[in-house]
Amino acid sequence: MKAPFGAGWLAFPGLFLGLMLAAPVLRLLHEGVAGEASVQMLGVWTDPYLRWRLLWSLLQAGATCVLALALGLPLAWMLARWQFPGRSAVMRLMMLPFVVPTLVAALGVLALWGPRGVLGEPLLAHGIDLGESPWLLLYGNLFFNVCLVVRAGVDALEHSSASQAAAARTLGATPWRVFWRVEWPAIRPWMMSSLCLVFLYCFSGFGLALVLGGQRYATGEVEIYRLVAHELALADASVLALWMLCLTAVIALTYAWIERRLAVPAPGWPVPRRRPRGAVQWLALGAVLGVWLLVCGAPLLAIAWRTLRALVSGSAGVLLEAQTWQALGNTLQFSGMALLLATALGLCHALGVLALDRWRTRRGEAAAGAWALAWRTLEYLPFVVSPVMVAFGLLLLYPDWTASLAILVGAYALLAYPFVARSVTAALDALPVSLVQVAATLGASPLRVWWRVVLPLVRPALRRGMAFAAATALGEFAVSLFLSRPEWTTLTTLIYQHLGRPGAANLDAALVLSGLLMVLALGAFALIEGRGRRSPQAHA
Amino acid sequence: MACMQRRDVLFRGLGCGLAALSPAALRAAPSVLRVMTHNSFDLPRELLARFEQEAGVRLQLVKAGDAGEMVNKLILTKARPIADLVYGIDNTLLPRALQAGVLEPYTGPAASRAAAAELGEGVVPVDYGFVCLNVDKAWFAASGLALPTSLEDLARPAYAKLLVVQNPATSSPGQAFLMATIAGLGEEEAFAWWARMRANGVKVVRGWTEAYYTEFTRNGGTRPIVLSYASSPAAEVFYSKTPLAEAPTANLFIRGGVFRQVEGVALVRGGNPAAREAAGRFIEFLRSPAVQQALQTTMWMYPAEAGAPLAEVMREHATPPTGFDNPDPARMQAQARAWVQRWSRVVLK
Repeated sequence: MKAPFGAGWLAFPGLFLGLMLAAPVLRLLHEGVAGEASVQMLGVWTDPYLRWRLLWSLLQAGATCVLALALGLPLAWMLARWQFPGRSAVMRLMMLPFVVPTLVAALGVLALWGPRGVLGEPLLAHGIDLGESPWLLLYGNLFFNVCLVVRAGVDALEHSSASQAAAARTLGATPWRVFWRVEWPAIRPWMMSSLCLVFLYCFSGFGLALVLGGQRYATGEVEIYRLVAHELALADASVLALWMLCLTAVIALTYAWIERRLAVPAPGWPVPRRRPRGAVQWLALGAVLGVWLLVCGAPLLAIAWRTLRALVSGSAGVLLEAQTWQALGNTLQFSGMALLLATALGLCHALGVLALDRWRTRRGEAAAGAWALAWRTLEYLPFVVSPVMVAFGLLLLYPDWTASLAILVGAYALLAYPFVARSVTAALDALPVSLVQVAATLGASPLRVWWRVVLPLVRPALRRGMAFAAATALGEFAVSLFLSRPEWTTLTTLIYQHLGRPGAANLDAALVLSGLLMVLALGAFALIEGRGRRSPQAHA
Repeated sequence: MACMQRRDVLFRGLGCGLAALSPAALRAAPSVLRVMTHNSFDLPRELLARFEQEAGVRLQLVKAGDAGEMVNKLILTKARPIADLVYGIDNTLLPRALQAGVLEPYTGPAASRAAAAELGEGVVPVDYGFVCLNVDKAWFAASGLALPTSLEDLARPAYAKLLVVQNPATSSPGQAFLMATIAGLGEEEAFAWWARMRANGVKVVRGWTEAYYTEFTRNGGTRPIVLSYASSPAAEVFYSKTPLAEAPTANLFIRGGVFRQVEGVALVRGGNPAAREAAGRFIEFLRSPAVQQALQTTMWMYPAEAGAPLAEVMREHATPPTGFDNPDPARMQAQARAWVQRWSRVVLK
């Protein structure tokens, strides 16, 4: 199908990425490199400390992928193939962790596994100190990312053809054999695609690693933060950032490539779900759901519990303070403004992908394919470029705009718009071409086809992407790097402000505000899952 | 002044975009004073509003992270400064700022008036505090363990795994404490002590919040001794949810474990010349009796103005130490980075 205005869609997001992301980072890289006589590109690999940071970044991302697959695949299979009481509730709650603000999640993990946490304290009594281990970070990673794997698995299994599996069963194959020989090959690309995404998130993650990584298990991204903000060692930071970027670029390209291969309209006949049979299957279901609850549910319950305890012990007053209301207002206002910008950017970017893909199929040249793939990959750029480098680059590049609303909203939108872009791109990929052709044959103009056929079909994915963007903007951690003016205090910065002072009332206030932030995220989540259930294949 | 207020309302309203979006508002209007501060800056709103009215300027406070980050941002944007004034530079960071040439001396009345703690070099001291160890009184009462009386005690097996400190590479109090140990014990002996502390299970965390709210026993952690400030016990009383007769925590003033931190305000070189007069007024304002009184219970520091009265809660629960261990400033400037690197090797790597 033809997108109206063709490649013109590339201009807006292209300009935005150039001004808000590429230019600041390049400016900072220049600052770092210009002052040095020689820059040791390989220095990162010869210094044991920095090498460990990079290797650990890779290692923890890889380990998270393995664990997420081990936990996510069985759950996805059971959700796709079995019908059981509470199934739709599990499906609805699945994406909840993804919208929880990083800071709240980190507090939840600590409330559970920290030295005085519900589970951490008994462990400590037996001499197991999780605080000095990589487990907290891995657990936090899993909390956020398992849902992506499960979601992809369920989508893929629901799309895999029933007739093949049925034929294999008729020929006498056991369910295991059916899974390994028929189902797994069919869903493998989907799983790989979700694992690439999980890897990207974990590898370039900043907030979670900062809070949960401790001294030994902080990632390369946290090291960049230390080098830039605390040591002003721009040359070292630049080299490290370049290596991180190279590594993420490989993963992002792979991911975009797999995703494009998956860009086929969905086949019809899903496998019908049935009830689990026998005690073994019910037990297996219980065990898998139990592990899922422990990983994804428990930190949220821990935060809810501590918030309630703080509320009943007399800290509800913080909810009535003028400061809290102002922060709440700011949070909503910035999120709203960012959402508008992010939606416009995301739509344009996705339509740009479509236009380039069309161009590729028309021209059929390798060069056209490369451009289309590159533009697709750019959707991930805001996820993988170091927010610290961007923030400091912006200071250098636009000193007069440091404390301006434009930069602030731009920063929010930068981090939020990939959600819209990716969701819409996926929906456009899955759009049946026939519908559009029929409408065109019946005499509809391209714009009319867009308005009456394509947009209604893409709308659920758009809404879903917008809801994720809104949830990101509400509790985004990295944006606190850009927030400079006190009258712009948001809930996230207010929580930090309270955690920066001694005294029981401050800790309770921080907990109550975290609870409030979680309620806001839940609101965004209700928007996603409450009405947008039938989005065909929106990977988060 | 009605116009000022209207502008304020306009700014805070939903449509605040226009006023703030345009950089022209920062450049062209001389009535804006850009003040860079660290994240802990906190003064009552009414005081700041009154200053804006009296000086006829609008304050634009730019919070730039922790004090170390703030100075780095100042150095990074030296060619085109993002502020006219900087508050929160302390005696550990001042040498770096001076060396980079980002400050300009101020010579108004506040600069020549006697202060309880001096910074020198045209930087006006505003407040000071003491970085020191705090102990959880209830924990020590329950365990029956005597309070340590020296750094050496802390390295003994009886005190194994009781102390949590901040990483000097990422935290101002962490760096201050490292300086105090070096000044108190001597460089070689200090690093030998840190090595023994490593063996004795000292816990290192990134910043103050992690130390105080995750690791300190009073807030659910496992460490009854935490690196904090001499004013923290007073803040515990002030922010307590039920009225307290005495603080639940206490200061541990030991040799080599107390650092005096002096915070000041300075002009930024290359700042907007049209804002220079207002900048001077803001410096004087920070040393005015009202601010010197207020900052004690908002930023939890002692007032720098000589003879300024202490707030009641500070007087009763935050008795300042009689001595402290600061290295010679010139030596600190020359060595700070090397010391922090050496510390990382000895304690972390």
